[in-house]
Amino acid sequence: MDWLVSQISSLSKIFFYLIQTVHWTILISVLAYLIALALGLTFGILRLSPRRPVRWFASVYVNVLRGVPLLVLIFFFYFGLGKVVNMDRFVAGVLAVGICYGAYLAEIFRSGIQAIDYGQHEAAMSLGMTRWQTLRHIILPQSVRIVVPPAANEFISCLKDSSLVSIIGLRELTRAGREYSSQYFLDFQTWLMVGLIYLMLTFTLTRVVKWLERRVAVHGYGVEKR
Amino acid sequence: MIVQVKDISCRFGDITALDAVSLDVAKGDVVCIIGPSGSGKSTLLRCLNALEDIESGEIIIDGMNVDRRHRQIHQIRLEIGMVFQHFNLFPHLNVLRNVNLAQQVVRNRGKAEATQISLELLAKVGLADKMDQYPGQLSGGQKQRVAIARALAMNPKVMLFDEATSALDPEMIGEVLEVMRRLASEGMTMLVVTHEIGFAREVADRIVFLDNGKIIESGPPADLLVNPQQTRTKEFLAKVL
Ligand SMILES: Nc1ncnc2c1ncn2[C@@H]1O[C@H](COP(=O)(O)OP(=O)(O)OP(=O)(O)O)[C@@H](O)[C@H]1O
Ligand SMILES: [Mg+2]
Repeated sequence: MDWLVSQISSLSKIFFYLIQTVHWTILISVLAYLIALALGLTFGILRLSPRRPVRWFASVYVNVLRGVPLLVLIFFFYFGLGKVVNMDRFVAGVLAVGICYGAYLAEIFRSGIQAIDYGQHEAAMSLGMTRWQTLRHIILPQSVRIVVPPAANEFISCLKDSSLVSIIGLRELTRAGREYSSQYFLDFQTWLMVGLIYLMLTFTLTRVVKWLERRVAVHGYGVEKR
Repeated sequence: MIVQVKDISCRFGDITALDAVSLDVAKGDVVCIIGPSGSGKSTLLRCLNALEDIESGEIIIDGMNVDRRHRQIHQIRLEIGMVFQHFNLFPHLNVLRNVNLAQQVVRNRGKAEATQISLELLAKVGLADKMDQYPGQLSGGQKQRVAIARALAMNPKVMLFDEATSALDPEMIGEVLEVMRRLASEGMTMLVVTHEIGFAREVADRIVFLDNGKIIESGPPADLLVNPQQTRTKEFLAKVL
């Protein structure tokens, strides 16, 4: 009985210690994801450019970043670039995660655009629309339906991978767990709690993604006759 | 001549889809293009709308050179309306927005003006009551009539129809041909790829028979359909008539 009470009290102590840093985890993931969205959309479109050098440039970005471990990228940004241009750990961490996820999202956007029937491009062009007008008014609104579920799932991965920035000393959830466990030697309880907090976050997000999926499935399409 | 096609060729790898095709169309004329599958009919229309590259030759529509590599090609395309076999309506927009969109973003018309034009055209194709529906809620014949209204809304100088009725159930073909017939009688210049020989006989000023990427024969329906000169035309007509 006593044992149980002391366990619960230490677990709750750990919980309240850790939860104070969870907003950093969220902030890092959200900022990184916003960067990733902007980059992903841009490079996803550029990968389909009619101009070969543009396509080539975009595919270099995507393939290089998908081919390098995120951890290495974080080291490169913080220890490598950070020393040269004087970036602090927060900026370096967010940029590394954002740029890496930009490459993943670029692939999702590219396939979302390519999934739209080419007849839609032709119809829009035959009405005199430019490539950009066609993308903006015809293709992207239809791609949303296809892109939202996988893109939202990438946010969940992004949140989990944000734990990697703990290694350059950014005080987010995982870093706080390391500090706590090395201070009080409660490794088992601490990492259990860190895991549970991540799980809470990702579980909530999974529900949000499900909800989004259902929303975009019908958005703007009226009742489809099949 | 509002449409001048001079000696154009179009190739896809080893396949020569169009082989030195020349064709002139006077303003207000209706030219029907017939021919077996794979003869290059679609390719010819697509070249006219700069949806395919031509390898040699020249296309001039109302004095404008139609060249896909031209930077302002979209400004030339908007003078040419195109109706596709599979309609290609925008499924995420309702009927009114389908007809409005290009008017607003390409022709820079205000919403009220565009809507007024759209409603007139939708009434003309008999679909004014469907303006709030989405394409997925329409029958094939209705979709194609919306597609025609959408193309007309840009005030094109020439209309291209690529097998506009081929994907339709038989009972819906008539309603679409009726709209096309009316358009022809109003003096629209039209190039119509069709398998509806009856329509061609009735409406066309000239019929062009295409085979293997070449124009084999062309002439008024009374000549070409009744008294074809070339063996291949005779063989083709024997099959479809
Ligand atoms: N994008 C393409 N890539 C490769 N070959 C093509 C392409 N488009 C057309 N072709 C080929 O060019 C030739 C002419 O095709 P086209 O579609 O113009 O024929 P069509 O007369 O319209 O036939 P159908 O009556 O079946 O529509 C065919 O041999 C076709 O296979
Ligand atoms: Mg065809």
